[in-house]
Amino acid sequence: MKTRKLLKKLCAEYAVSGRENEMSGIITELTEKYAYEIKELPTGTIIAEVGNKKAKRHIMLDAHIDRIGLVVTYINEEGFLKAEPVGGMDLRALAGTVVTVMGRENVTGVICTLPPHLIDKEAGFTRDMIWIDTGLSPERVNELVSVGDTAIVKSFFRELIGDKAAVSALDNRAGCAVIIRCAELVSKKLTDTRLSLVFSSQEETNESGAKTAAFLLEPDEAIVVDVGFAKQSGVPAHLSGKLGAGPIISIAPSLSRKMTDGLIASAKELGISFDYEVDGSTTGTNADGISITRGGIPCAVISVPEKNMHTQTETVSLDDIENTAKVIAGYITGGAEK
Amino acid sequence: MMDKKLLEKLCTAGGISGDEGEVRDIILEEISPYADKVKTDNMGNIIAFKKGRNKPGKKLMISAHMDEVGFIVTDILSDGMLKFSCVGGINDSAVFAKQVFVGKDKLPGVVCCKPVHVLKADEKGKCPSPDSLAIDIGAESREQALEYVRPGDSIIFDSIYENKDGRIISKAIDDRFGCLVMIEMLRSELPYDMYFTFCVQEEVGLRGSSAAAYTVDPDSAIVIESTTAADVPGSENEKRVCLVGGGAVVSFMDRATIYDREYYQLAMDIAKEKGIPAQTKTMIAGGNDAGAIHKSRSGVRTIAVSVPCRYLHANASLIKTSDAQAVSDLVKELAKRICEQ
Repeated sequence: MKTRKLLKKLCAEYAVSGRENEMSGIITELTEKYAYEIKELPTGTIIAEVGNKKAKRHIMLDAHIDRIGLVVTYINEEGFLKAEPVGGMDLRALAGTVVTVMGRENVTGVICTLPPHLIDKEAGFTRDMIWIDTGLSPERVNELVSVGDTAIVKSFFRELIGDKAAVSALDNRAGCAVIIRCAELVSKKLTDTRLSLVFSSQEETNESGAKTAAFLLEPDEAIVVDVGFAKQSGVPAHLSGKLGAGPIISIAPSLSRKMTDGLIASAKELGISFDYEVDGSTTGTNADGISITRGGIPCAVISVPEKNMHTQTETVSLDDIENTAKVIAGYITGGAEK
Repeated sequence: MMDKKLLEKLCTAGGISGDEGEVRDIILEEISPYADKVKTDNMGNIIAFKKGRNKPGKKLMISAHMDEVGFIVTDILSDGMLKFSCVGGINDSAVFAKQVFVGKDKLPGVVCCKPVHVLKADEKGKCPSPDSLAIDIGAESREQALEYVRPGDSIIFDSIYENKDGRIISKAIDDRFGCLVMIEMLRSELPYDMYFTFCVQEEVGLRGSSAAAYTVDPDSAIVIESTTAADVPGSENEKRVCLVGGGAVVSFMDRATIYDREYYQLAMDIAKEKGIPAQTKTMIAGGNDAGAIHKSRSGVRTIAVSVPCRYLHANASLIKTSDAQAVSDLVKELAKRICEQ
């Protein structure tokens, strides 16, 4: 499937952390052509098994499927919904923002904001100020919404100049698109490899979905695909890669040097440009947990550069998604240097 | 009943102050078959006249503004990013991380922001000033950006329009709703002759209405507006200003106008008599074209009737259709009574 269509489909789904089961249908639809088995774990993680089931070499290809969002914690007598963030929401982006609450039906709301004469600019926007206004009567609200329902920030899939896409949830539906595209590229060449596509749950809250899946799968190695910081004003250069200039390959003490070198070799062989992200300790991705699962699992991290992370204006390049998939595919089918 | 389709068309059209053409074209097309005289003046205001069954005792002008708040491209940087300025009063939080459309062709863009992960503790939750932000249309260089946009291009919010379950969520309800009420009056049979002005540049200093009032030279004026309702958690009592669901808002005073006392009382009396829900504002806040109209020429007796609106001047404002109906009902009756005098 073309990257654009694939990404649009993935971003249209909700699946705030803890509700990953909302995506089992779409993941089945998008992977069943390549997978010999698709399973949903109690943790919400979805695994699609590709390649040779009996192969000695077993690679886990991970992308978290959950997105940040809100959860309704209280409904007041006027029908306003108190909500709390799920994952690292950027509080600056919330006031006055349109949300969809996944209640009995989907309900559109606006996050309350005070008019200028009542705003304390110095105090900023804090968690206790997150109230959702659906504009409905308290009776109707209580019919449609319950405490514990999740909500997402609403945005539109928009294409910018130069094959770029801007919409919320690109973190990490861009990564999900990469691993699906990668499966497409390698599915017929996996005679000696079992490839487990892991669409992992709850990365945004505690990175638990990938770690538990790794325990279950016991792979020889794991490649984690996430979004990384694209170069933009205010982001340190060593942590970011230029948007549209290929994947970002991570180097960190917690990662396998051998695998990282393998990804770099693959990119060079394919003539695909890339950037480095160098961390001094761990990576802030699922690799941190996977790498110390069981007796230790070698990990590498490769990312799609993304601007405006954790807002409704997240932006990626479609070419970067395609090239990231190609670099990983090259690593897997080239066998890498063992 | 309100023409829902037309309100959607009006609200989703782009028309920042000074660039009201798209909205003006819609309105001209809608009203031309019904008005006896229509003209667009030098500033871009539409001035329409419609004969009623009777000659009025007072020359009445009913007014709403066509423009909305938004942004304008001020510069294009070497990396292809667009610098912009706010057009009209917009909260910093209404700018941050928003999806927008740039220029006549409505090119998608996003207001960029440094990710939350790299913020210092004292930066969290605080929206940076729009001056420090830029819009990304995907261009890699100034030259590439210039193939699509140029300084001076208008920018509007890329947002939803939803009219469901008795409430409307949209951009630009301020003041396309007022325009809709006037269009519906023009479509109907009127009891008296009346003038209708669809004004430009309200959001940048009540400018269009100043010229329109001069040209029409009315005795009396009714301004139809949207006004800030702050009836949300974190705001209590008088600070709520007015209530969504509380009916039409009739002001006695705001930051720009002390309204005609008799007309204020007349409006409240009519509401009571006809059972139209009405309320007043509990803070001296805001302002509208009445500020320019009431002091036009030798003075115009002026009143404003507004729909209570949460999140005014943002990508998603919220009103109740019951309040919209109350405004429409009250304005029609008030217009009749003023003309009778």
